[in-house]
Amino acid sequence: MSIIKTNDVKKWFGDFQALKGISMEVQEGEVLVICGPSGSGKSTFIRCINRLEQHQEGEIIVDGIELTNDLKNIEAIRSEVGMVFQSFNLFPHLTVLQNVTLAPIWVRKKSRSESEEKAMELLTRVGIPEQASKFPGQLSGGQQQRVAIARALAMEPKIMLFDEPTSALDPEMIKEVLDAMKELALSGMTMIVVTHEMGFAKEVADRVMLFDEGLMVEENTPTEFFDNPQNDRTKLFLSQIL
Amino acid sequence: MNLEFKKSIAWMRENLFSSIPSSILTVATSFFVLGFFRGLFGFAMASDKDWLSVLNNMQLYMVQAYPEEDFIRVWISVGLALVFAGMSIGLWKSTEESSLSEVFSKFLRVSLAFLFFTVVAPTFSSVTDNDGIIQTEESFPMETRLQLLIPSAILVVVFFVLKNLKLNYKFNKSDLLCFYLAIPIVLMWIIKLPTIQLDSSNQRIFPDPLMPIADTTKTPWTIIFGLFLAFYFIGSRFKDSKNIKRTMSISWVLLPLFIFSWIFKKPEIDLPTILGQDIPIFIGIFLIGALTITFINNPVVEKYFSIYLGVLIAITGIALFISIPILLKSALLLLVLFTIVIPAVSSSTKGKRNLIIVWGVSLFTLSVLIRGGSSDTQIIVQQQSIFGGFSLTWLLAIFGTYVSFPLGVLLALGRNSKLPIVRLVCTGIIELTRSVPYITWLFFASVTMAVFLPEGVNFELVVRVLMVTAFFSGAYFAENIRGGLQSIPKGQYEAADAIGMSPFQKTSLIVMPQALRAIIPTLVSSAITAFKDSSLVTIIGLIDFLTIGKVIIGTQSIPVNFVGHDRENLLFIAFFYWIFTFTLSRRSMKVEKRLGLGER
Ligand SMILES: Nc1ncnc2c1ncn2[C@@H]1O[C@H](COP(=O)(O)OP(=O)(O)OP(=O)(O)O)[C@@H](O)[C@H]1O
Ligand SMILES: [Mg+2]
Repeated sequence: MSIIKTNDVKKWFGDFQALKGISMEVQEGEVLVICGPSGSGKSTFIRCINRLEQHQEGEIIVDGIELTNDLKNIEAIRSEVGMVFQSFNLFPHLTVLQNVTLAPIWVRKKSRSESEEKAMELLTRVGIPEQASKFPGQLSGGQQQRVAIARALAMEPKIMLFDEPTSALDPEMIKEVLDAMKELALSGMTMIVVTHEMGFAKEVADRVMLFDEGLMVEENTPTEFFDNPQNDRTKLFLSQIL
Repeated sequence: MNLEFKKSIAWMRENLFSSIPSSILTVATSFFVLGFFRGLFGFAMASDKDWLSVLNNMQLYMVQAYPEEDFIRVWISVGLALVFAGMSIGLWKSTEESSLSEVFSKFLRVSLAFLFFTVVAPTFSSVTDNDGIIQTEESFPMETRLQLLIPSAILVVVFFVLKNLKLNYKFNKSDLLCFYLAIPIVLMWIIKLPTIQLDSSNQRIFPDPLMPIADTTKTPWTIIFGLFLAFYFIGSRFKDSKNIKRTMSISWVLLPLFIFSWIFKKPEIDLPTILGQDIPIFIGIFLIGALTITFINNPVVEKYFSIYLGVLIAITGIALFISIPILLKSALLLLVLFTIVIPAVSSSTKGKRNLIIVWGVSLFTLSVLIRGGSSDTQIIVQQQSIFGGFSLTWLLAIFGTYVSFPLGVLLALGRNSKLPIVRLVCTGIIELTRSVPYITWLFFASVTMAVFLPEGVNFELVVRVLMVTAFFSGAYFAENIRGGLQSIPKGQYEAADAIGMSPFQKTSLIVMPQALRAIIPTLVSSAITAFKDSSLVTIIGLIDFLTIGKVIIGTQSIPVNFVGHDRENLLFIAFFYWIFTFTLSRRSMKVEKRLGLGER
C-alpha cells in the first residue's frame, strides 16, 4: 500500500502554471529524493502534500485520506506529516525545548512532563540535548535545523518532508544535518527530500526524481539515475550540478 | 582614585571629544543642558516661590472632593497597591547586588549636582507681571544661597569620604530599594515643615510656623510601609513558586478594578438583587460553560459545536442591545470568549478540571466587579464624579489601557481577518475613531452619546468618557499591533501550520507574542500618551490632576491666597507626571531586554 499517492496534480499561481500534472506514489518506509533546476516546482509540490499550498486539479491521498478543503482532513494529514524548511522557521520567542514540545502539548494534548521527556529524547537523537534551554537565535544554523527536525518528529509523524534542508547552511554544518537525516532514514521513516546534495541521494535514497518546468521528467533508482540517465534534461541537469 | 580619574578622561576623549564636530556638539549640548537645569534650579529655589501652595493642597491633588470621613477607603486603596508592590518586588527579587561604596558614589553624584547648581543658580530672574511688563528681581539672594551651600558642601564631603572608605559590603538591589523607601518614612517623623496658619481675621501668619507632619498623614504611611516590608519578605520567601507569581500577575490586573469598583466607590449593596439576580445568573452561566467543557470531546457535541457557538454569539449580540441586567450581558460575553477557547485547550480529565476552575474563578471575579461597578455609590460629592484629581487621572489611564489594549488586539486581528464583513467593520471602527480628534470624542461622550444609547440606558459621564477613550486608544493600539503582525515572517505561519496548530493556537502562541514583543516601545509610548491625554477631560468639566493645579489652586484665594502661584504647581505637576512615565518607560526597557533574549 502506498502511503502517498498523487494523481495528475496541477497548480496555478494566477496565470502561471507551476505544476503541470504530477502523478506519483511513495511506499511506506521509502526515501524519495526530488531534484531539479530552480523554479521547477519542487517546493510547490511537496508543500501541496501538507496543504501549505492548495492544488487546483488532481488528487492527493495521504495515508488513505484525500486532501480536500475539509479542515478536519487537513488537520489530520498535518499531524501525520512533518516538515522541515530551508529557512528553519523555528519560533524565536520560545526556547529549543518549548519549540519541540509545542505541538505535543497543544496539538496532541499530551502532558507537559511526558512531552518534555520525549523532546529530550529527540534532541539527543539529533545530537543537541545540551542546547535545550537556549533560544534559537543563540544556535548555529546546523543546530537550528536539527532542532527543526526534532520539532517535526515530536508530532510522531509517519512521513517527513524536507525542502532543501541544507541549502541555507555553511558547508561545515551540512554534514551534521545530513547525518541526522540519514539516521532517520535508516530508522524506517518515509521521507521526501528536495535537495541538491547528490551524495545524500546516492547513499540514502530509494528513488530519485527530476522535476523540470512543473513536470516530473525522470524517476529512477539512484544508481540508474546517476549512471544511466534516460532523459536529456536529466543529463543536462547532472552535468551542471556534478 | 588616580586610575579612575585617568579612565574617565580617556572615556571622555574617546566618546565626547573624538573629533572637532563632536567636541563642538558636546560643548553646545552641555551648555544648553546645564543652562536649562540652572534656570530650573533657580526657579525652584527662589525665595518668592510659595511651595506651600503645592504641599498644602496634596489632598486636593490626590482625591479632590472625596469626603474626609471616607478617607480610610483611599488609604486602603493605596495600602493594597503597595502591599501588592511589596509582594511583587519580593517575588521577582533582583539577583543583582551593589556594594556600599557604589551606593555612596550615587549619593555623592546627587549632592555634587546639588552643590553645583546652588553655586551657579542665577541670582536675578525676570518675571512678567500682570500688566505684561517684564521685571527683574533678585530671586535667589546670597543668604539663601549660603543656606543651601553649606549643607550641600557638607554632604559632598561626607559622601566623598564614605565612598573612598571602599566599603565592599554587598547589598541586594531589592533590599536597597526598600531601604531607600524607608528614608522618607523615617524623615516624616523627624522633620518639621512650614504650615499655613491664619489669624483671627483670616490673614496668613508670616513666616509660616514650622510644625511636625500631621499624624493623619504619617501614621497611615508608616502602617502601609510596614505592610509593604512584611509582604516584601513574604514574597521573597516564595520567589521560586511559579504559581504564586502567576497568581500575582493576574491579581495586578484585577487590583485596580477592585479598588475602583468596591473600595473607592463604596457601592450601595442591595442583598435581594444579589440573591435574586446575581447568584442565579452566575450559576446558570457557569453551568453552561462547565457542561461545554465537560462534553466537548463527545462526538455529537463536536459535530454541532460550531453551530452552538454561532447561536451563542448571536444571542450575546442581541443581548447587548436589549435591557437586561448588565451582569448577564457581561457574563454572556465572557462565556462566548471562553467557548471559543475551549476546543483549543481542554483534553485530559485533569486539563478539563483545571479549565472549569479557571472558568468559575473568572466568572466569579467578573460578577463581583460588575456588581460593585454597576451599583450606585454611597459617596456624595457636589459634582459630576467622585473621582477627581489624581484618582481621576489614574482611573482614566488604567481603564483606558485595560480596555483599549485587548480591544486593539481584537481590532488588529479583525482587520487582518479573512472574513470580509469582519474586516470591513474593524477597518471602519479604526478609521472612524482615528479620523476625529480626541476632544471631539470627549464632547461626543458628554453631549451626544445619550442619543445613541438605547432608551432607559444611561451611564455616568466618567463611564462615557472611558468608553470613548477605550475606542480611541484602542484604534491606535490596533494599528500598532497590525504593524507588529506584518513584521512576522510568512515562515512562522507555515511552521505553525505544518505542526498542525489551529488558527487560534497559531495566533495566540506564535504570532501575537512575537508581534507584541516587536512593538513594545510603540505600545509603551501609546500608553504614555493615553496617560497624559487624560488631562483633556477638563474640557468637559471633569477635574483631573492638571486642572487642580492650574485652575483650582491657581485661582484659590480663600482661606489662603495662592493666586499667582500656579507656576510652582505646574512644575510640580510636570514632575509628578514625569515620575510615572519615566518609571513606566524604564520598566518597559527592562522587559524588552529580558524578552529580547529570544531575538538576535
Ligand atoms: N506564491 C507564489 N506566487 C506566485 N508564483 C509562485 C509562488 N510560489 C512559487 N511560484 C512560482 O512557481 C514556480 C515554482 O516554484 P517553486 O518554489 O516550487 O520552485 P523550486 O523548484 O522549489 O525552486 P528552488 O530550487 O529555487 O527552490 C516558480 O516559477 C515560482 O516563481
Ligand atoms: Mg524551493
